[in-house]
Amino acid sequence: MEQRLANTWQMTVNERKFIEMALAADLRVDDRGPFDYRPCTITFGRHFSFTNRVGGSSEVQLGETRVMSYVTSQLVQPYRDRPNEGTLSIFTEFSPMADPAFEAGRPGEFAIELGRIVDRGLRESGAVDMESLCVVVGKLVWSIRVDLHILDNGGNLIDAANIAALASLLTFRRPECTLGGDDNHELIIHDIEDREPLPLIIHHLPVAVTFAVFGEGNIMVIDPSYKEESVMGGRMTITMNSNGDICAVQKAGIGISSSVIIRCLEICAVKAAEITSKINHAMESFNDGRSIQYPNFHPVDVAIQDNLPDVIMDKKQIENLIGHLAALPLDALDRNSNKSGAVVVGTNTRAKFENNQARDGVPFYSPSNWDPYPRKLCSRLARSSLKLSGLPEDVEEDKVNTTQSVTVECGLEHTKGASSSRALETPSEYTTVEATSQYIKAPKTLKDAVKIQNRKMRK
Amino acid sequence: MNSMPSDSASMSFVDRVVVPGDHVLDLTGMANQTIKLGAGLRQDGDAISVMKAGKLRISKPNKYWVESSHKRYVPCVEDTVLGIVVDSKFDNFLVDIKAPMLGLLPVLAFEGGTRRNIPKFEIGTLLYVRVVKANNTMNPELSCMDETGKAAEFGPLKDGYMFETSTGLARMLLSSPPCPILESLGKSLSYEIAIGLNGRVWVNAASPSTVILVSNAIMNSEFLSAAQQKIMVEKLMKRLQ
Repeated sequence: MEQRLANTWQMTVNERKFIEMALAADLRVDDRGPFDYRPCTITFGRHFSFTNRVGGSSEVQLGETRVMSYVTSQLVQPYRDRPNEGTLSIFTEFSPMADPAFEAGRPGEFAIELGRIVDRGLRESGAVDMESLCVVVGKLVWSIRVDLHILDNGGNLIDAANIAALASLLTFRRPECTLGGDDNHELIIHDIEDREPLPLIIHHLPVAVTFAVFGEGNIMVIDPSYKEESVMGGRMTITMNSNGDICAVQKAGIGISSSVIIRCLEICAVKAAEITSKINHAMESFNDGRSIQYPNFHPVDVAIQDNLPDVIMDKKQIENLIGHLAALPLDALDRNSNKSGAVVVGTNTRAKFENNQARDGVPFYSPSNWDPYPRKLCSRLARSSLKLSGLPEDVEEDKVNTTQSVTVECGLEHTKGASSSRALETPSEYTTVEATSQYIKAPKTLKDAVKIQNRKMRK
Repeated sequence: MNSMPSDSASMSFVDRVVVPGDHVLDLTGMANQTIKLGAGLRQDGDAISVMKAGKLRISKPNKYWVESSHKRYVPCVEDTVLGIVVDSKFDNFLVDIKAPMLGLLPVLAFEGGTRRNIPKFEIGTLLYVRVVKANNTMNPELSCMDETGKAAEFGPLKDGYMFETSTGLARMLLSSPPCPILESLGKSLSYEIAIGLNGRVWVNAASPSTVILVSNAIMNSEFLSAAQQKIMVEKLMKRLQ
């Protein structure tokens, strides 16, 4: 018992009185303003080996507080009531090396609360897209697991853990899996060397901002340090995204009046935007480093804007498309046959082609200019072709059985100058299916375009 | 790290950083001399070798020791430290002094202390105490009196603010002549300070902003040279105006 007393951290009466007195005069002991965050650094796991590009690990240091987050994925059976959604689960580990008050083994009350706050912010606000994690409806979905390890407790674990979880989810890549085999029922999980792993679809970033309450419930400070947390009377965590949407609110301790809460919400909106930009900034520099090493790598854009119209294709067109895609080699997919008579996607995308080429001179296609619509198309294609392979109705056996992959892998149009203008000349005649392919091919020349045309004409 | 054997003149190692395994003194050339070894040194046959990483120091004519800076405190006799009362027993207060074991402060170890006037310390009281007995197997024993039995500034500290630093910084603050940071701060501000060799520092001043300024300045000054410390204090003073 004496040993335990020796190991716990003690707070003196002097410190307690002084912190409260200073806060009454609007002063914080570490010389911060009441609404200032401590300096925050976000680092990502090192993934410099060519084979290990799945990402998914980040470490956040907020002042003295350090939290590490690690994301892994697994194929599981979905829940009965949600057969077409993946799952997301958050686990926390409060290591005794972070704080002598933490005990190894079962998570304490605060550990569970922290896990729940992070979980609520991510799952219930719909930040992570669950439907895109479905592989086979009702049978196989991806289960994403986020492990939060607390490395050092310097106060305000919730905010740091939340940022770490977001950063690691943004850099996580899951292996691509397709249905193949003899009867299209065999699941192939592609090795990361064969096919580029795919990022998660994240619609927005819910950021947690914690306020500590002192005195009678009228003194609030943001980002309490360890000592301030020992002295505080209550705590309120607001999870908000940069659009100003409140994702979750958690409150503990002494009562706070409603006017103070409204004030906190306003402050939180500003802070959430700041932290979001910090995360994005860190992501960008990480992705730049990654893309230099791996030219095939495509960074993921967080705030995906859906600004292209959906292509409506009827079943016949979809079947034809799949058939054509299966028949043609991959790099010929750009000039897909117009036999289906499908509608062309708007000209916006072509404008984007040119922009992307101009960017660094390298014909490098980044989906950050794309919208998620292609993914939707793919999943619809996936489901429809699954339906096709499963049900006997309207099935054209020969076409469907030649389908090797459900996800549509389409080549990207790496045209330079002349070929792109050629694309513009025949606007309504062919289908350009933009997909989530992460392929980059060698820059296409006019010659390739001509060759493909010839092949088609021969057909 | 040190591949060279010891020098005949060990002065070359004095005031330099040494690591465990270094041989800093060769005894073969020094017959009939007494050498006193302090912390971090031990005799290895004919040579003196280092056990702890740090700076080798000498006090003329023959005292050698290794000085290092840690966050943990190892109790030494006659050290003055700042302790926090953790519990009170029948004949001892249990005081935390950042050592591996809790210190024991006898309830009678106060000036004019008898069974009738035992002081009442609540849990969390900050005390300025002296280490009387220190043994790595037993709990260190403390006292609120000096050797002659007088109070001499020992005892509870009222108000103010306490923060924790490394033992190296505490030693630097206690050095004489006075440390540059304390001197330059004292030129423009008036404050009261108590420094424990266990790395705890207590600061008190008339206004909370002064206390905060002094404590942050001290915490930031650990790795600054004397000139840099003076410059930092000047910048802080300018900011105040």
